[in-house]
Amino acid sequence: MLHVENLTASIEDKQILKGLNLDVGDGEVHAIMGPNGSGKSTFAHTLAGRDGYDIGGVVTLDGADLLDMTPEARAAAGVFMGFQYPVEIPGVNNMYFLRTALNSVRRARGETEIGARDFLAVAKEAMELVEMKQDFLDRAVNAGFSGGEKKRNEILQMAVMQPRLAILDETDSGLDIDALRIIAGGVNALRGPERSMIVITHYQRLLDYIKPDFVHVLVDGRIVESGDHTLALHLEDHGYADFVNTDLNDAPERPLAGAPS
Amino acid sequence: MSAAAATTTRLGSIDVLDGVVLPTKRDEAWRYAPLRQLAELTFGPTVAGLVQLPFDLDERIGYLDGPRIVVVNGAVDPERSNLDGAEGVHLAALADVAGATPELVVRHTDGADIVDSIMAFNLAYGTDGAVVQIDAGVDVATPIHVVDVVVPGSVTNASSTGVVIQLAAGSTATVVETRLGAGSSFGGSNVRTTIDLGADAALDHVVVQDLPVNQVHLGYIDARQHERSTLHLRSFNLGSSYGRLACHVELVGAGAHADLSGLFFGVGEQTLDQQITVVHDAPDCISRQTFRGVLDDSSTGVFNGGIDVCPGADGTDAEQSNDNLLLSDRAEVNTQPRLEILADEVACKHGATVGQLDDTALYYLRTRGISSSDARRLLINGFADQIVDDLTVDSIRTWITHRLGHDHD
Repeated sequence: MLHVENLTASIEDKQILKGLNLDVGDGEVHAIMGPNGSGKSTFAHTLAGRDGYDIGGVVTLDGADLLDMTPEARAAAGVFMGFQYPVEIPGVNNMYFLRTALNSVRRARGETEIGARDFLAVAKEAMELVEMKQDFLDRAVNAGFSGGEKKRNEILQMAVMQPRLAILDETDSGLDIDALRIIAGGVNALRGPERSMIVITHYQRLLDYIKPDFVHVLVDGRIVESGDHTLALHLEDHGYADFVNTDLNDAPERPLAGAPS
Repeated sequence: MSAAAATTTRLGSIDVLDGVVLPTKRDEAWRYAPLRQLAELTFGPTVAGLVQLPFDLDERIGYLDGPRIVVVNGAVDPERSNLDGAEGVHLAALADVAGATPELVVRHTDGADIVDSIMAFNLAYGTDGAVVQIDAGVDVATPIHVVDVVVPGSVTNASSTGVVIQLAAGSTATVVETRLGAGSSFGGSNVRTTIDLGADAALDHVVVQDLPVNQVHLGYIDARQHERSTLHLRSFNLGSSYGRLACHVELVGAGAHADLSGLFFGVGEQTLDQQITVVHDAPDCISRQTFRGVLDDSSTGVFNGGIDVCPGADGTDAEQSNDNLLLSDRAEVNTQPRLEILADEVACKHGATVGQLDDTALYYLRTRGISSSDARRLLINGFADQIVDDLTVDSIRTWITHRLGHDHD
């Protein structure tokens, strides 16, 4: 359903993605791992539609050209990105935000908007998934949320939006083990034959909870190795050194390999 | 400059004009005012007995349907007003009160507190306005509405209106002032409000300025607060080519509390000017100034906020903040704190920020399917709502939200 071919992205003459290829099938969960600075987050943002990148290559979702779409059109097409750093929006009520988001997407798809009461039922179900209380909806979007609450709010949004393709960017960063369990539980509950996921992570730890169908190693803007979940275990033991050393002979600025701090 | 023909008795002596000169650019308080334009204005009542309004007033001010005093072109319109207040609530035309019991409104009419020519014109040429008096200990549940409407017609007149709000000891009330205008010709309104709060009285005061952008509004609020009284001012400075809300609050009784906040939201070529001064002249008083500006297109915002702490006003707790959102690179804001502290054990804080819409927040909202224009509006309203949410009268909050949303559809 997602086809990425020779994707390149640069920002202010600095090339970050250098020809990335990836195919994600229906219902598959792909993990993308890699050292700091390898381009993991940039890849996520090029799929979500962030401005400011100079982009080349082909990205299609169910055959439609994704690169040609605005971020909101991509959301309507079924793309959802869970942010590594969810943005605080003071003054905007979380519930209102969620309903506006859902209804924007429904409008764009030519579906009827959902009323306040029906939405509450949708939101309640989503909240149970990430073990949140009602007051969570009454607060401003992410404002004053703890790190764990912000990440849970991302998964809550994903549960409400029911995307076709979810890209989770370092969803595990900054989480304690309880929050990680809750979030992984939410993500697993949202797995299904119609929904594909790209899980971007630095650590193997998350993949103990969300078991991927495929693992890819991203180094210096390219996928240098792909395999099943055992590849993640290999990385856990050996770090990225193998891939960095063999594949970066032409890289002028070598990212720090090995165990992250 | 001259007054339009006044048909009734003036409220104040014409002597108040002795020695009065128009403000100049050198007056800090008038630096951003269109002085040449103001000099073209007269300040009398425009047309006595105007019955036709070019819009449906009830539709414009439908957010409140309780007791109200409607002033049209500087004179109370009894047909459109509803002066039946509850027990202990006295609503009247200023001309009537000044005629029958002038001592009741003497602080408004004696001119002692007049500090500039615009206020002097208001007093010298104005003939009428609204009086709201609440008896001691009375708790008024229904908001009282004072509506000022100007339709300048062919005269370039800024109609002069007086508003007197008096809460006797221990009383509480909500007074909403809505200031409107209509018509395509230049003109506007000059409204001077005098507020007296007795000991332990509490006033919720909402001011909505929404004149058309071909007119000017000159508003001045002079409040005096006694022991432990509370003033909550919420101002919404939205309309006019030049919309001015000046506010001078004197805390003369120990433990008085002034909480002043406001939103100014400029588009096009508007200049929206807030001139705020709080004088702490008694110990242990609290004051807050919380003003937010949103400025689009080529609009200009001004916040000139003063805190004066007099000798002996020990235990003063005063804070001031002015946060601004610039939506265009042609918009500007001028923010200036003025602090004069002549007492001991004083806590004074002030801060100002100027920012733009956060690109990352816009992107975040768009990844959730929200269109670029909706995302912008959501962020702008989120910023403004931190003032709007403070409104205790639901119907006004709804109206303001609607009004702000409409301008950015």
